[in-house]
Amino acid sequence: MIKSLMFWVLAIFLAPFFSALILKVKAFFGGKKGPPLLINYYTLVKLFKKGSVYSTSTTFVFKLGPMVSLSSAVTVLLFLPLAGQAPVFSFNGDLLFILYLLGLGRFFTIAAAMDTASPFEGMGAAREAYFPIICEATLFMILILFYVLTGELRLAAYFTGSQPFGLWQMAGSPMLFVVIALFIILLAENSRVPVDDPATHLELTMIHEVMVLDHSGPDFGFIELGSFCKLFFYASIIAQLIMPFESGYLALNLCLFTAGLVVVYLAVGIMESVMARYRMDRVPKFLLTSFALAFFATVITLEFIK
Amino acid sequence: MNSFTLSMVLICCGGLAALFLWRQFLLMKAVAVGFIGIGCAVGLTDALTKLLHPGSYAVSLKYLNLFYLSFQIDGLSAFFLVSIFLVSLLAAVYSFHYLNDSQKALRTAVSYLFFALLIASMALVVTAANLITFMLAWEIMSLSSFFLVIYDYESADNRKAGYLYFVFSHVGAMFILAAFGIFYGNTGSFMFADGNTMPDSAKLTILILTFIGFGSKAGVFPFHVWLPHAHPAAPSHISAVMSGVMIKTGIYGIVRLYASLGLHTPLFGEIVLVAGMISGILGVVYALGQHDIKRLLAYHSVENIGIILIGIGIGMLGVSFGNPIMAVLGFAGGLLHVLNHSIFKSLLFMGAGVVIQKTGTRTIDMLGGLLKNMKITGITFLVGSLAISGLPPFNGFVSEFFIYLGGFRGAALDRTAFVLSIMAIVSLAIIGGLALACFTKVVGVVFQGEPRRPDVTAGDEKGPAMLLPMLVLAGLCFIIGVFPRMFIYLALNAIPVSGLGYGRIPMEPFMQITANITLAATVFFVILAGVVALRLVFYKDKTIGSAGTWGCGFTQPTPKMQYTGTSYAASILEFFRPAAPLEEDHPAISGRFPIKTHYHSHVHDIAERHMVHVVVNPVLWLFDRLRWIQHGDIHLYIGYILLAIVVLLFFI
Repeated sequence: MIKSLMFWVLAIFLAPFFSALILKVKAFFGGKKGPPLLINYYTLVKLFKKGSVYSTSTTFVFKLGPMVSLSSAVTVLLFLPLAGQAPVFSFNGDLLFILYLLGLGRFFTIAAAMDTASPFEGMGAAREAYFPIICEATLFMILILFYVLTGELRLAAYFTGSQPFGLWQMAGSPMLFVVIALFIILLAENSRVPVDDPATHLELTMIHEVMVLDHSGPDFGFIELGSFCKLFFYASIIAQLIMPFESGYLALNLCLFTAGLVVVYLAVGIMESVMARYRMDRVPKFLLTSFALAFFATVITLEFIK
Repeated sequence: MNSFTLSMVLICCGGLAALFLWRQFLLMKAVAVGFIGIGCAVGLTDALTKLLHPGSYAVSLKYLNLFYLSFQIDGLSAFFLVSIFLVSLLAAVYSFHYLNDSQKALRTAVSYLFFALLIASMALVVTAANLITFMLAWEIMSLSSFFLVIYDYESADNRKAGYLYFVFSHVGAMFILAAFGIFYGNTGSFMFADGNTMPDSAKLTILILTFIGFGSKAGVFPFHVWLPHAHPAAPSHISAVMSGVMIKTGIYGIVRLYASLGLHTPLFGEIVLVAGMISGILGVVYALGQHDIKRLLAYHSVENIGIILIGIGIGMLGVSFGNPIMAVLGFAGGLLHVLNHSIFKSLLFMGAGVVIQKTGTRTIDMLGGLLKNMKITGITFLVGSLAISGLPPFNGFVSEFFIYLGGFRGAALDRTAFVLSIMAIVSLAIIGGLALACFTKVVGVVFQGEPRRPDVTAGDEKGPAMLLPMLVLAGLCFIIGVFPRMFIYLALNAIPVSGLGYGRIPMEPFMQITANITLAATVFFVILAGVVALRLVFYKDKTIGSAGTWGCGFTQPTPKMQYTGTSYAASILEFFRPAAPLEEDHPAISGRFPIKTHYHSHVHDIAERHMVHVVVNPVLWLFDRLRWIQHGDIHLYIGYILLAIVVLLFFI
């Protein structure tokens, strides 16, 4: 329990570091030196030191938004097994709670955006409400596959002990589909290219960034930290799927896990460097691809391989 | 039975007293609300006691020497009684300040009479033990609610809505009556309890016929057409009762017939499940496209009836495939969702009622920024929105959690059960996402931002009798969401009588699930408290500025530029275009200085659209051909009656 708690704290503290890897990769492709690897910590400290300016249109919901979205992202990490280590909390059906808790965070992010009366933020909010619907369908499809393979509905059951490897043994190649589907979900849920461009300069084309335009100071710091944690959550799930080995030694497990994480973050960075953002109306098709992949993986595994 | 009878008498007294006191407007309201409220409170305590001490309480009285009026309260009845009395009690209190037009004193008095009749008849529907009693109570319920729907009968739209409701409820009742005829023909008994003696084919026919009949009351797609018309027409506390509990009597009918017939063929479970999925998804898609806040909420009833049917369908499949845990999870989730939906839906209708009363409009896109003046309405509406979107830590999540767990059990089964279960799970996920989109739209456009029209602003909220019920309901949403233990216990007590033959259900595994939900919610609150504390630390001694919203460089923003609900929902509706055809009307923009333009959009309900071609036109054609029977000559009408009696004599 204590060890799991330490892992949890470590995850929150390391999440900003990994996100900086993406920036480094993008700088490398752009032929630039790029910001230092600790850039996100500097940003957070800077934001936490500042005060805030609130729009006269806003209400208490605007202040509640960042707090709820950070809390939900951080709570979700409590249920996440890291490097084969049992998570702090785990119960039958915790995955449903996790997905719906992320939904709660999203509800409040959208509500905070609508609170500002800004047409741009409304536009971003409408997209934020739309795209995750398809992502959730995909995630539930993957969940069905995992449930039928393991008979469990706990996140810990899929990623601790002999399990991630066992999943590959049982499902085989369709697991590749699952990994790709999850990667697409990661890109969409964390507003990365090709769904959303966190570095774009035109508010009309943004999703997540435009929704937080009016937040400033510590509130904005909370939002940033929350999105680092959320990205870390998805990235570590994929990392444990692509590095499904359990060595029995904590140190070695940690190395494997970190290696997996680095691969995922590098992949996100490379995606961002080599691809352009999709036109908005093509994003649903991109996301439906992930649903199709998850669907095929489930059907193939459960009908033919199992 | 005594306190139940007492509550019925009190409620009816309240309704009658209103008629005599209509000249004293305030006194009339106070007496009516007092009697109805106390009656409901008595009934509520009685139902809770009976639910906690399961058993069967029956009474039977002879009526006109012809047949018996029999009543029976078992776990299932008591569970529905709890939500009926709870919501009616709060709606009665709410009506005290909502019906505040003393010009319409007589009408208000009449509406209290029908309101009392509606509550009493709903209670009798769920306690009826034989077919005749059931049908009588059912008809009183349909008629009294019809008169409540046309409360504002001056408006042609409302009369039309009332007519539509009248037709639907009676066509539905005809289906139920036909099924009851088969029931009696096969068993020779009017008692529900004697249902399992007939052959399977008759049982299936009865189940399907009653499913259509009860479905048209419950608002199952495609029999939901009356719902989005009738709910906006009725006064808001009536919409709350109709949407919150009256349509649930349809669900009660489905479960009661299923239990009494004891036919465990997978086919019926599959029908219920598929109907649930279609209602769920299409209900919320149509809701997204609405501009009228009460129509939107009405479509959400279709959606939630879908979720309830998914739960019950999973339960039925669990029974058919011999998986008791799946069955109990499905039924418990479905039944708890009945209670949950009655709580948050009546909360939302009451909130909408306050908004309509204070602003004078139901059009979402004309409102905005109401949260600043209407704190209590806004916050309780927000809680209701979170609950209906199924988000933790509110009550909608708990029932959906149980349905999900049941669905996952089904995903581990064989072919049909597997396919249907994964469809159910994915549908629930999609419904959840769409409901979130829809309610961020309502909350965001109606309560947040700036007022969109200078003339449509809300004064401060007045009327404690309207605010108190909303606070109670919001509190219940939260309590059930964090401490579901007691409420799951109630739902589990309602299941055993469903004739599943499992005897007493072991409570421990299900109590463990509720303990997990409580734990998870507590963990979330601890972390949220930590973040709040952190925020306080960060903002200590900081300068907090205040300015206009950043317009991305644009310096002359107006409230008219805000995103509207229509544009918010546009891209999602585009995705569902085949199922929800969108009709837009706007002139093309031309010239350097475009003249005043307009935009109008309407999402067509495919059920409503096709109903005209498939049902209405052929029926009209048929009756047009039969017009010669109606000639207006009274002698021939008497002849018809005689002829009918003579013909019937041959059959006796």
